[in-house]
Amino acid sequence: MAKQLAFYFDSSACTGCKACAIACKDRSSLPVGINWRKVYDYGGGGWIPSPAHPEIMLPNNVFVYSTSTSCMHCEKPRCVEACPAKAITKRDDGVVLINSDLCIGCRYCEWVCPYGAPQFNEEKGYMTKCDFCQELQEKGLNPVCVDACPMRALGFGELDELRQKYGNVNAIEPLPSADITNPSIVITPHKNSQPSGQGTGRIIKLTEV
Amino acid sequence: MLREFALITFTILAQMSVGAFLVLGVVNFFVVRKAGQVEADRMVDRSLVAIIVVLGLGMLASLFHLGSPLSAPSAISNFTTSWLSREILFGVAFGVLSTLFVVLQWFKIGPVVLRNVIALLASLVGIVFIYAMSKIYMLPTQPAWNTLATPVSFFTTALLLGSLAMGAAFIPNYAYLKRKNPDCAELQCDLMRSMLRWIAFTAVVLLGVEFVVTPVYLVSLASGSPQAVESARLMAGELGLPFLLRMILAFAGAGVFGFFLYQNAQSAGREKVLGYMVYAAFVLVLAAEVFGRFLFYSSQVAVTL
Repeated sequence: MAKQLAFYFDSSACTGCKACAIACKDRSSLPVGINWRKVYDYGGGGWIPSPAHPEIMLPNNVFVYSTSTSCMHCEKPRCVEACPAKAITKRDDGVVLINSDLCIGCRYCEWVCPYGAPQFNEEKGYMTKCDFCQELQEKGLNPVCVDACPMRALGFGELDELRQKYGNVNAIEPLPSADITNPSIVITPHKNSQPSGQGTGRIIKLTEV
Repeated sequence: MLREFALITFTILAQMSVGAFLVLGVVNFFVVRKAGQVEADRMVDRSLVAIIVVLGLGMLASLFHLGSPLSAPSAISNFTTSWLSREILFGVAFGVLSTLFVVLQWFKIGPVVLRNVIALLASLVGIVFIYAMSKIYMLPTQPAWNTLATPVSFFTTALLLGSLAMGAAFIPNYAYLKRKNPDCAELQCDLMRSMLRWIAFTAVVLLGVEFVVTPVYLVSLASGSPQAVESARLMAGELGLPFLLRMILAFAGAGVFGFFLYQNAQSAGREKVLGYMVYAAFVLVLAAEVFGRFLFYSSQVAVTL
């Protein structure tokens, strides 16, 4: 079976602190507007008047949970087939990489990716995205996002092994359906996690993502 | 914004060129049977050159949506899987074949049969070009684009703008012929009137297609995924003004002026009025299509994070 590196994310442990996103931004010196790793807070529910005291509002199924996302290094990466310049490739270990020398900056991968992973560097004129910290991995180190997490909610490894250990969940709100690209992600859902496409909540404070 | 403007310019000009090329092919077919090859050449040769110029401008505009325009040639390297590569490949092929045809046609090089074969080949490649262009947008992550309405509207744009552009081009061409070669003026005038009638009829029919496709499209969006519903809501709300303008301009251009053009082209002696009408129809429909394409890009809501 082909090798496929994958991220593991434990939504039940994540506090939404965004240390992973900041560590990522720091390690790759990403400019303003570009974030290879992002943390989405997803919440919902509402308030109902207390039956005994209608002037008092009671929380009704109020929930919020966080999802840390990056490039999913998908098994069926749409960006690889869509890129007109063959600038995006999938390595033997499953990692999807953009070659900035080949990229022409047409931004088509931005349209085809359901995870918002490829992001355009306006100044340099080409697309950029998560490279799974390949330089660090070559030295036997972990990706920075994994090491930065104070809750140990992020991990990485062989997709099959992660699935055996943690199960097959790969699509919870607000992630889109996994059917589009077969993302290489294994998720331990939060107790309030809702399946993709069946959400009752919304992304909270999108500008903060 | 520059990026979107580049894409609007490119898609509209490229589609108009292919449509105009196809329309001239049909015009040529009928005029040859009616009045012979010489009269047909007189009618279409100068317009053919205009098509190549418009296509060239469109291709040039497409470079402005790239972050690294100098690397543009490598965009054809992934044609085995990428519709964007295929679009550029077929676009360039259409450009090369149509230019080759226009050069041979202009200087009357080679037998007519050979030229016709090249023109036919260019037409087929042009059709595939527009199809590939529509496939670029038919993505599972973009529900507002991922419908049959995308290819249908691209082909409608091509034929509507192509036919009206060529109709408009007949007017100065006729004025030129009348000045240079008064002998043929009367025959050319009859030919022009019958072709304008045909073009006006085509424009009204295509307008009908747009007016059927648009509501069907909106209804299907409104009953689709949350993102599709959001697109429909945008077009009914925030983007309502450009949407309304697009429909009104298309109706005024292809419908009202198309109808009067059809009526007035019936009898001789109204060439001047015909000119104003076909110019007005073309300009109004061009504006409508620009608004339409602007809506196409700005109403799309992606299934992405």
